[in-house]
Formats: sequence, structure tokens, C-alpha cells
Amino acid sequence: MNPEVFTFLVGGRAGQGVKKAGEVASRLFARLGRHVFQMDDYQSLIRGGHNFSVVSTAVREVTSHSMRADLVVALDGRSLDLHRPHLADGGVIVCDSREPVDGAVAVPLGEEAGAYSRPELRAGVGAVACLCAAIGVDADELEAIVRAEYPDAENNSAYARAIHGAAVGRIGGTFSLARGDRERSLLTGNQAIALGAAAAGLDFYAAYPMTPSSTILHFLAQHDEHLGITVVHPESEIAVANMAVGAAAAGARAMVGTSGGGFALMEEALSLAGMAEVPLLCVLSSRPGPSTGVPTYTEQADLEFALHQGHGDFLRIVASPGTVEEAYSLAAEMLALVWRYQAVGTLLTEKHLSESLMTVELDPASAAWAEPVAGEGAGYLRYRQTEDGVSPLAFFPSTSPIKWNSYEHDEAGITTEDAGTIAAMHDKRDRKLATLVAALKGARTVNRFGSDGPTVVTYGSTTMSVLEALRAGGLTATVVQPVYLRPWPVWELGDLAGREVVVVEQSSTGQFARLLSEKTRAVPRHVIRRYDGRPFDPPELAGDLDAAFSDLGREVGR
Amino acid sequence: MKSDDLLTEAEKTWCPGCGNFGIMNAFRGAVRALEGRGVPREMIVMCAGIGQHAKIFDYVDLSGFYSLHGRSMATAQGIKLGNPDLKVVDFVGDGDAMGEGIAHMIFAAKRNADITVVMHNNGIYALTTGQRAPTTAKGVKGPSTPHGNTEEPLNPIALMLEAGATFVARGYAGRIGELTELLVSAIEHEGFSFVEVMQPCVTFNNTYERYNERTGEAGGPLDFEAALAMSRRTDPLPLGVFYRVTRETHGRSVAPGRNPARDHPTRERRIAAVARLVGG
Repeated sequence: MNPEVFTFLVGGRAGQGVKKAGEVASRLFARLGRHVFQMDDYQSLIRGGHNFSVVSTAVREVTSHSMRADLVVALDGRSLDLHRPHLADGGVIVCDSREPVDGAVAVPLGEEAGAYSRPELRAGVGAVACLCAAIGVDADELEAIVRAEYPDAENNSAYARAIHGAAVGRIGGTFSLARGDRERSLLTGNQAIALGAAAAGLDFYAAYPMTPSSTILHFLAQHDEHLGITVVHPESEIAVANMAVGAAAAGARAMVGTSGGGFALMEEALSLAGMAEVPLLCVLSSRPGPSTGVPTYTEQADLEFALHQGHGDFLRIVASPGTVEEAYSLAAEMLALVWRYQAVGTLLTEKHLSESLMTVELDPASAAWAEPVAGEGAGYLRYRQTEDGVSPLAFFPSTSPIKWNSYEHDEAGITTEDAGTIAAMHDKRDRKLATLVAALKGARTVNRFGSDGPTVVTYGSTTMSVLEALRAGGLTATVVQPVYLRPWPVWELGDLAGREVVVVEQSSTGQFARLLSEKTRAVPRHVIRRYDGRPFDPPELAGDLDAAFSDLGREVGR
Repeated sequence: MKSDDLLTEAEKTWCPGCGNFGIMNAFRGAVRALEGRGVPREMIVMCAGIGQHAKIFDYVDLSGFYSLHGRSMATAQGIKLGNPDLKVVDFVGDGDAMGEGIAHMIFAAKRNADITVVMHNNGIYALTTGQRAPTTAKGVKGPSTPHGNTEEPLNPIALMLEAGATFVARGYAGRIGELTELLVSAIEHEGFSFVEVMQPCVTFNNTYERYNERTGEAGGPLDFEAALAMSRRTDPLPLGVFYRVTRETHGRSVAPGRNPARDHPTRERRIAAVARLVGG
């Protein structure tokens, strides 16, 4: 068999190496020159429970996993039961058993592992061995992969060979995966955000661990010396945001990252950054809320929160990337914008983008570079009145004092309660919006895919789901994805006024559909929502889109 | 033009006789003394929380950041990490640092952040009209506690010692000469330095008479246990250095040798570093 999209799903308990097996599979497919998308479904626990990793790969572009798996490896009984329904036509499900199992291929994964120390850690290696057998990768090649990917190389490669031998007679070469055109890099959304910000000149990253943003912290902490970035993990998100404000005032390009609950704790400091005009970029990676919610799953219910962060009138920039590649360029662009306009920026994303692994093609040098409008010298005024509202920045040490202030202040940064000064400083800060909008008009603020058929409007990681659903269902549509959500790119979206559209989003109340109709007067005739923590499954979404398109067609024809 | 008296033209709105004048004058003296010892004034950066104490930010003609209530310790640490060459002096109130922002104080001490925190302790919230503070004695009546404060006060010196502060001292706003010397030592100290300053509030909590008559000498630096024991004495109230020790600072351990403000990378160098991680 040679399906257009081949999907490998491995499921098991936490601690069995499920995610690692998915990553090894992703790298194997990428080396074949294929496009890859890996989604990890895991629970908020360290041992036990049920986790699975699903990797979809194709020679053509692929922007989402699919829940129709061609090969399932179930490392425990629960995975066998849970994932039987996910088997595609002609698919194979492998389970851990010495005895034959109805409707599954039994491979003695656990029993073979018993010959080695710590057998529970071998399960993922067994899954990789089954995959290799199924796609015609021979035992020598498998051994090379295992030696490169896993510790305890002697035992793991011997175990992998044994499993390969057991599986090859049953499922050997069931699937044949064509080679693609070239090998691409694999990045998660969070890695792309970290690298994009780094490429724009990031100097300082602070965060308090909170899923699904934590891997930005881990990645940057791991590479702090290589990149030359100071990375700190202080006592709370409140400390995180206030430290970042201080670092930025000292001249360091600063970024923070969190999820909804942590973002709520940062609000006060974001408002401070608004008043004191401190350039600050915050990554908000959403998970299902409200409150603690469902930590390791995905949702888009922080949109309204992100748009209205912080108290008071100040310049907020909110943008959301639609793909891992866009996460790289947008993180850089956002850092550059907050420095150019001394604004507060929120890069809004979701677990589905943050933690999914995807093949990318990006030119590192295409990233924007964060540079302030510089000023210095005698008579320096931190908040000098200017025509465009942007007061040139200078940094300590300075013989002419530089005073940043959370109170309303005069041009020198001294606290004021004078009526005329209060209004004048508001006006100065407010002028930055027009300056920013003029610049954004020359930038890419909305993505459009296709130009025929009904209009689908979506944003963030759901964009990837929609594009894959259209491919999966062979559907034609025009997909409109606003990348910038504040300022809302009205200048790009005038054509939506009065138009009946289909909206796809991951919010139970339809936050994005509300924003869209309010800002563009588009008519969201159908709002396809998913809010069970899981990302859309493209084949299923294709069915919903198809139904919505037919209905739209009928209504348009009426 | 830089004024040589280290004062801005901002109108001083502290009450006549306020202890904050003493603290401000001691700080101005400390800046001049440090200049005499080779620290240019532009290398000294102020932070302040929110409260009567914090007006020192508007009055003293130095660079800095007028931060939020309870958060200036975090802002100050960020400035220091952003540019480790600077001397960062953070002025906080007792409500500010022992109430809203106490976690930041404890962690700044724990990680030995290389900043100086000067805590103006007037025992009440003065700017918001005299409510009880975390340092207020049990039984004291105020607008939020008309029947008397039901809580025991915190002991800031003991708390900072336990949290890991490497320089701990107490001064009195009514003894400017001694306070100036304490501030110079605290700012020169490499690591987290904490100076509690007893600050009479002439309107809500006038303690001049008490501190003029009933203070003693801490006699430090003492060893840790002796400093802790000394911190529990209240009458007479010990003044001076309690504790001083050398320990690796937060900045040196988390980002050794790195000064982001001074060593911001060139675009070329950074892109090359990123490209190696992107791979492909």
C-alpha cells in the first residue's frame, strides 16, 4: 500500500517512550524527504495514564496529523481498545502479545523486553522496530536509527532487531513510502517561536513553567550560551513580567512566555509596560480553560483575553501564527514591532501549534531585527513629544537621567497630575497606533489560501487543520486567516462585509466569529467549533466543511 | 543641565519633618561618597515601589524606573540582569516589600540578586491614609482596623537573614550620618543587600521620640546565629550592620560574564547561531 498520507500512531502509558517513538518516526520520514506533522496527545501526569503520538507524512505538504491511522502500535491494552476505531481502511494494528489477538497483529513486545534490564523503557524502541518492519526498513538500518536515537545502544539495538524479526514476517513491507524531494528541518511551534525571537535579537527570556509554553523556556535555557541569551525562571509570572520590564528598560530585548493563568498574573506588568512604554513581547500559548482547565490539551478560548490584556488605554499588538514556519517569522516580527513602537505585544498561539512537530522550510536570515528608535545626549527626555508618538530610546548609564515611570508623567518621566500634561501624554501614546497601522499596511497581516469557492475564516493553529481538511476532502474554498488580531487589519478585510462565511475555531462560544462579525460585518453562517481539548481531525472536519458549504450554497441560491 | 545637588525640580510633597527627607539626604550623601570612591553617579540606577517612600524617585536626579507597588524588587533584578555593570538601588516601603511584594523580596535574597533594597519602614501605609502594614504592632487601630490590628507584625531583618540575604543592616532616618555610611556599604556590597530604615511618619505614626531615645548598636557583622538573635531585640532597637557574607551572585551564576545591554549581538552573529539550531 502507498497511501497519499501515511499515518503512524503509537499509544501507551506515560513512561513507555511514546512521544520519543513519534519523534524518531518523524525524523525517519523527514530523512525520506517527506513532509511530516506530529501531534502528541498526553495527560498531565508523569507515569501511567494513556498517551499517544500520531505522525502523518506525505510527499505533498501536510499541515496536520490525521486520526485515520495506517499503522497503530498499541503498547498496552488500553491503547488497543482506544485506537481500534482510528484504524484506516487497510490499516494494521500491532499489539503487545505472544498469543494471537483478534483483528490485531500480535508481537511479543513486553515479553522480549523482559530479557533486558528496565524492560518498561524498551516499549518505544519496539514501536519503532514495528514501524520499520511495516515500511520496509531493514534490520541494519533500524539498528543505525536506534543507536543514533536511544541510550543503552547495545541492549536497545538487540531488542529492536528481535522485534523487527518478530514483526517482519507478519507485516513486513505492508506499506511503501515514496521518497520526497528533499530533507526538511523538523521544529515544534515553540522551538520556532524561540528561534524566531532569537533571530530578531532576543537578549532575555523569563518564564515560570506552565504547559504548553514551558518548552520555550526549556529550549532557550538549553541553548542560552550558544545563542547568548539570559534565561531565568523566577518565583512567579508576576516576577517574570516585572523582571522582563526591568531588563527591557536596561536595553535587553526581552520576552516572556506563559499560558492563560500565568498571563492573568502578568496583566499588571503589561499595563505597566503600556504606561512606561517598555517594549515587551509575551507568548501566550493557550490550553483549555477557564482556570487550570485541561493543561496538556488545546483550545482557542483566550482570544478575547489576549485582545484586552491590561487595564487602561495603551498600544497592544496581538498576532497569531498559522503554521510553525509562520511562528518563526512572526515571533521575530513581533519583537521588532514592540521595539520599534515601544509597545506590548502578545504572540497568541495554542498547544496544537506550540507542541506539534512539523517539517519546515525557512530561511533563518529572513527574520526581522528588533531595533529601537535611538536617542541620547544632553537634555534627553524619556517621553519626548514627537509627531509619530514614538519617543527615542536611550539606555543607562546616561549622564542625562533616564526616568521610566508607571505613574502618568511629563516628558522627563517625572510624575504628574497636571491636567494638560495627562491629556498630552495620552495623546502621545495614542498617536503610536496610527504610526503602527501605517507600517502594518505595508506588511503581511492576513493570509489568503485559494481564491475559489466558499469563504472559510479561521486563525491560529486551526488554520493548519482547515488547510489539511480541504486537502483530505478534496474541497475547494478560499481560506482567510487574519494573522494580526489587534490592530485588526480592516484595510485587508473590507471584502468580507456582508459576506456569508464559514468560521472554524476552537472556542465553545465562538469568540473569533464574534470578533469577525463585529469588525468586518461578515456573516458567520456556520461556526464549526471544537472544544473538547483535541485539535480538529482533518477527515472529520472535511465532512463538516462539506456540509457547511452545501448549506451555504443552498442559502446563496435561495 | 545636571543639577549638582542631585535634586530634580519636582515639588516635594512629603509632610514637613517626614522621615523620608532623612533617607533621601542620606542617599544623596551616599551617591556623592561613592562618586568620591570612583563610582560615577550615572552608574547608580534607582527603582521604587509605590507609596510615600517612592516619591524619592521623582526628587533625586538619577536614572531609574518608578515601578509598581510591590514589584520594584523584580524590576530592579531585571535591570541588573539587563546591564550587570549598573548599581541598582531599590527603594521600597514596608507595605510594598513585606505585603504585596514579599515573595520578590524573599526570592531576591534567596538567589542573592546583586541589588540593594532600602526599605522605608514607617509601620503603616501612609499614602493611603494610615492603614496597618505587615510591620504594624498587634492592637494598633487604623482606618482598616478600627477595632485594632489582629495580626502579629513581621520581623523584616530576621526574614531577610533566613531568606539568604548576604548584607543585612538597619538604619534610622533621624541619624543621617550613620545611615549614609550604611547605604554606601550596602551599595558597594556584591550580592543582595537589605537596609531597613526606621522612618517616622509625622502624620500617622510619629516614632522620632522613641528612636531618638531607645536605640542601640547591632555591633555587626555578626555570625548568622548571633545576627538572628540580635534581630529579635526590640528595645532598645539595634541599629547598624547585622550580617555580611560573600556568596556567588545570581547574575554571575545564571549568565556568567554576559551583559545583554553592552554585548547585544550583531545580526550576522545571531542569525548564524540560529541557523545552526534550525538545521536542515
